[in-house]
This record gives sequence, C-alpha cells and structure tokens, in this order.
Amino acid sequence: MKTVIDILRAKGDEVYTVEPQVTVFEALKKMAENDIGALVVVEAGRVVGIFTERDYARKMILKDRSSRDTPVRKVMTEHVITVDPATAIEVCMDLIVHRHISHLPVIENNQLIGIISIGDILKAVIFGHVRLLEYQDSLVFGR
Amino acid sequence: MITVQHILKIKGNHIWMIGPQVTVFDALKLMAEKEVGALLVVEGEKVVGIFSERDYARKVILKGQSSKDTPVSNIMTERVITVNPETSVDVCMGLMTDRHIRHLPVMEGNKLIGVISIGDVVKAIIAEQSNLIEHLENYIVGR
Repeated sequence: MKTVIDILRAKGDEVYTVEPQVTVFEALKKMAENDIGALVVVEAGRVVGIFTERDYARKMILKDRSSRDTPVRKVMTEHVITVDPATAIEVCMDLIVHRHISHLPVIENNQLIGIISIGDILKAVIFGHVRLLEYQDSLVFGR
Repeated sequence: MITVQHILKIKGNHIWMIGPQVTVFDALKLMAEKEVGALLVVEGEKVVGIFSERDYARKVILKGQSSKDTPVSNIMTERVITVNPETSVDVCMGLMTDRHIRHLPVMEGNKLIGVISIGDVVKAIIAEQSNLIEHLENYIVGR
C-alpha cells in the first residue's frame, strides 16, 4: 500500500513557502517562477496557513483587494489540512475530494518536510495501478 | 473499466461557459458562483478556449493587466485538449498529468457534452477502488 513517503521519494521534498506579511503579488511571482499552485505560509518555523490559486481567484478582485497592497495573511486559508509520511494515498485522495482541496503539506515531528498535490496523487495512482492488478491476479491463482 | 461516460452519469453534464469577450472579472464572478476552477470559452457552438484559475494567476496582474479591462480571449488557453465519452479514466489521468491540466471538455463528434475535472477523476478512482475491494471481499467469502 502506497503512502505519502512513496510520493515524496518520487517527487522530492521541495516545498515552497512564504511569510504571512509578504504581498499577494510577491506570492504570485514565486508561484509563477516555480510553476506551482500553492505556497505554504510559515511564521517562525510554524505552518500558519496555505495560499492557493483558488484563494487568489476568490478573495482578491472579487472582494476589492489589490494584490500589491494585500498581505498573504489576509487571504490564505488558515485551517490547513496536513498529512504525515505514513498516511496512505487512499486517505489523501479522500481528504482532497471531501475537503475540496488541492494540496496537502506533509508534517513530521512538527516540521514541514514536503507537500503533495492532487497531481502528485494522480501520478502515484498511474504507477500504482499495476500493484492493484497484481494483487487481484495473485488472489485468483492462489499464490 | 471506467470511462468518461460513467463519470458524466454521476456528476451530470452541466457546463459553465462564457463568450470570448467577457471580462476576466465577470468570468471570476461566475466561477465563484458555480464553485468551479475553469470555464469553457465558446463562440456559438464552437469551443475556442478554456479559462482557468491558473491562467488568471499567471497572466493578469503579473503581466500588468487588469481583470476588469481584459477579455478572457486575451488570456485563455486556446489549444484545448478534449476527450470523448468512451475515453477511459486511465487515459484521462495520463492526459492530466502529462499536460499539467485539470479539466477535460468532453466532445461527442463536434458537440460539447460535458466537462470532467481532476477532482471528478479522483472521485472515480476512489469509487473503482471500493468496488474492487468489495468484489475481492465477496470473492474471499465465496459469495
């Protein structure tokens, strides 16, 4: 059964962060530079929020805010759903679907050690598919 | 094997669309109202592009544009990758990960009949896994 650590081994432990007082404009620049859809917001080593493209699309111009004048803290999602390295991929999929989110920061011993996206999960399923069929096969033939 | 058709049966085939001259601001309003991450851009019966949160995050403020003055046609993605009802979920997964996209309009011939998102795909995988597990459990117990 595949877990978060399998995904991190495949994609790496790179996670992009931003401090809460940084402007939304600067955050967007960082996301574009790194071709990502979310930044984890950290303050003094602690995860305090997550800022995604969805937050930007919903909470800025539609609420009359300007990206150069708004700190990320104002529009980030504060209640961050996280996982740990041993979390099963199926649990990640459930979280993503039921909480309607796209990214899961990975925490180990209170430290942010990586992040997995819905895209990373899909890739894991593509490679894990063989596993599922192998299991079915060996069950049928009594191996 | 789960196909796009199965997914559409479950989620429905409503499609949120706009014309190319609609402003980015109005597009964002519609996306917020309907709680979606992308809109199809159509001209008459023809799909001419797709506008997503990613397009907005990358191509407006970072390029010195303003959402109230910019028509979606200026920043939408024009080469739209589509699928048809018989396409398997596996192929959809592959397209989404390879092309780094989250939405696939569904065409039947020349007719647009629905859209599937990366979230719909993950839901289908979860459903398929639980069906498979149920099937295996029944097999073990000899039902």
